[in-house]
Amino acid sequence: MYRGREGQWAFYLHRISGLGILVFLVLHVANIASAMWGPEVSNALMKFYHQPVFQIGLLALIAGVLYHGFNGLRIILMDFTRWGVRYQRQLWYGVWALFVVFYLPFLIRIGGSILGGGHGD
Amino acid sequence: MAIKSKRYEEARLEAGSSLELYWWVFMRISGVVLVFLLIGHMWMNAVIMDLNKIDYDYVAQRLSQTTWKVYDWLILALALLHGGNGLRYVLDDWVRDPVKRFWTKVVAYSLLAFIFFLGSLSLFNHDFGVN
Repeated sequence: MYRGREGQWAFYLHRISGLGILVFLVLHVANIASAMWGPEVSNALMKFYHQPVFQIGLLALIAGVLYHGFNGLRIILMDFTRWGVRYQRQLWYGVWALFVVFYLPFLIRIGGSILGGGHGD
Repeated sequence: MAIKSKRYEEARLEAGSSLELYWWVFMRISGVVLVFLLIGHMWMNAVIMDLNKIDYDYVAQRLSQTTWKVYDWLILALALLHGGNGLRYVLDDWVRDPVKRFWTKVVAYSLLAFIFFLGSLSLFNHDFGVN
């Protein structure tokens, strides 16, 4: 339907972010499920994940979720409105505008704690 | 085959089976619900709460309330179905060899089913010891 330019970028980013989120979901559930082996196991694992490198990963994940979610809404508009496909490029810039608004609080909060060294014990 | 259409009317015509059309519709509905559930989930745990303070006790406290159990379980179920079906689209597109594609799907679906089982167990069957 559209090759090259924004439409194709939107499509590839949607797939890659989707796969990334799925991989995270598996790790995340495994992490929470570790509670069934008691507080010691669970806390050790969580402390491991509080290292800055994982916080950077988490910033990437949140970016992925926000992009995938807002671009998903764009796809729905293209599917169910008469004008969506015509304005798919403009909608994509709308996705990024929404992305920036929602991502900033996370970036400030988590980025601040990475730089401030407030991680772990 | 996955539906490539960008309009509901076209998707209905293109769908090889009604099951394929149901998946197409499910992706859109679950997507909208997940956007709200996940922004709430992330906002609560990363913006309101300090990520680095999350430990066993915090999780136990939150999951001692039925509302949060159901909220999290809804994310788990919808995300695994949405993500699993998305993965199916990707594998159909990108794994050309039918035998490889079949076994990749067997492994992927088994892993996702196991994660669903594990997540449900820890949400509903594990006593976190908080009143």
